[in-house]
Amino acid sequence: MQTISTESLLPHVFRERRDTLQSDVWLRDVTFERGHSYLVEAMSGTGKSSLCAYLIGYRHDFEGRLLFDGEDSTRFPDARWTELRRCAVSYLFQELRLFPELTAFENVEIKNRLTRHKSAAWIESAFERLGIAEKLHTKVGLMSFGQQQRVAFVRALAQPADFILLDEPVSHLDDINSRIMAAILEEERRASGAAVIVTSIGKHLPISYDRTLHL
Amino acid sequence: MRLLWKLLRQHVSTAQLAGFFLANLAGMWIVMLGVQFYGDLAPMFSRDDGFFGANYIVVSKRISTISTLSGSSQAFSDDDVDELAAQPFARGVGRFTSSQYKVTASMGIKGCAAFGSELFFEAVPDSFVEVSPQDWQYADGERTVPVILPRTYLALYNFGFAQSRGLPKISDAMASRIDMRILVHATGRTETFTGHVIGFSSRLNTILVPQRFIDWSNAAFEPGKDDSPTRLIVRVYNPADERIPAYMDARGYETEQGAMDAGKAAYFLRIVATMVTGIGLLVCLLSFYILMLSVYLLVQKNTRKLQNLLLIGYSTSRVSLPYQLLTTGVNLTVFVLATLLLQPLRAWYLGTIALVFPHVQGASPLPALTAGLVLLLLATLLNTLAIRRKVEALKRG
Repeated sequence: MQTISTESLLPHVFRERRDTLQSDVWLRDVTFERGHSYLVEAMSGTGKSSLCAYLIGYRHDFEGRLLFDGEDSTRFPDARWTELRRCAVSYLFQELRLFPELTAFENVEIKNRLTRHKSAAWIESAFERLGIAEKLHTKVGLMSFGQQQRVAFVRALAQPADFILLDEPVSHLDDINSRIMAAILEEERRASGAAVIVTSIGKHLPISYDRTLHL
Repeated sequence: MRLLWKLLRQHVSTAQLAGFFLANLAGMWIVMLGVQFYGDLAPMFSRDDGFFGANYIVVSKRISTISTLSGSSQAFSDDDVDELAAQPFARGVGRFTSSQYKVTASMGIKGCAAFGSELFFEAVPDSFVEVSPQDWQYADGERTVPVILPRTYLALYNFGFAQSRGLPKISDAMASRIDMRILVHATGRTETFTGHVIGFSSRLNTILVPQRFIDWSNAAFEPGKDDSPTRLIVRVYNPADERIPAYMDARGYETEQGAMDAGKAAYFLRIVATMVTGIGLLVCLLSFYILMLSVYLLVQKNTRKLQNLLLIGYSTSRVSLPYQLLTTGVNLTVFVLATLLLQPLRAWYLGTIALVFPHVQGASPLPALTAGLVLLLLATLLNTLAIRRKVEALKRG
């Protein structure tokens, strides 16, 4: 997939604020292209989570159009969304959505085994670089949020993707780990040519962005 | 699948599953029992004994005190026969012809005489006897006579005689091994014949021989005696035709009650079997309801996990699969257990019934298995669809 575009997209909850809304995304035509990186800066309550939910087909409460390679997503069947989530759009959820009863490795593996995209060695080395190697076989429920954020990041990369969507990926990370995450992400980008869309309400993931959008 | 199951088995309630398992087992077992019981017993009441189908009735004139005292004839005249044959319900009418001479016969098995008695023979036209012509043929003067005995004789022998003397019991298949010695006493002479028993009839309460033998022996031993029939055999289109009892009442005729009593018993058996099967189905339905509630509760408790799986790229069918396999496995186990549990109970009731009806052999278990299988498939299909729909509903958050 090459592009994701929005045409006059507006969440239903913002309808009443239509005339006063100041945004680079809502009610505009925006195109995210493969190979580029985007930073979506947002204040709390400006619809950042809504945008992410729209991009992975979790929510559809918007007006305007959302197009994948020019194709209107409104009529995508469930199977198409499943395919997109599995092979085209990778997503690091702000609320992580890990499974606390599984170990860190199992959390990555449950995603990875859908496509067998990464080897166990790659997963282990990513854990190693992110400083959570000793937590590989620890249940996620017993880990700190910062550690869980890194597990969720590794899981997000354990699939083929044209767009990597990271919702506040470093909100609970120190600068060193943020830089390590950025380095791993850059390697993935270079290897796959995927676009990166990062959202932030303050702390940015330190990579070079082609475009910054204010929500 | 292993990881998926590790995740989704959380909150699976063993108690609820066990509750469903036992309830469904009871339900399916009762349904299968109802069907099997009906299948095993129904032939006893609608028994087509191989010689006379269900479409025959035997008609005689009603015997009352007045008719006995006045000496009025119990015999059917030719007009009576013609009128009966002209009725719309009748396909054909045959006369019973009785032996006009004295007969004594002794019966035994394996050379051991069981009992002897004075008796009589009757015959109906060969077209009314559904037996292969070579078994039922007789040539004038031949010493071996084919015979069909009333089934009551068999019961009499098996329970009265064989039991007390420690003799082997006789089944239908062993009929031809009965030694039957027939002595015909006519004026001034006695002749010996050998009876070849070809089977037993529960529909005709008489000792039946070929028409040809009766005609020949009556002419040979007691020529000139009146042989007007006192009983008629009527082949009808539909034995349940209500014009039959109306006509019989109007003419003062009687039909033999055996078939009708069997009909009533079969009717009650059907009601009982339907009720039992109905109760079984109700139990199945309730158990199915328990399972659905249990699965819904399970999906509800695991909502977040299921949603997360869908959001990381799992399809609805893949996420539904563990629960679908779980319910299918439980249903299948219930079916296998119900089938196994049916066997000892069936053996027990067949054994009990065999004491009274020795010829009961038990029907094929196929209808009961089919009933169980249909329940299994239906429950599994509904489970599968319901689980999928429930998981699909989670998709939109």
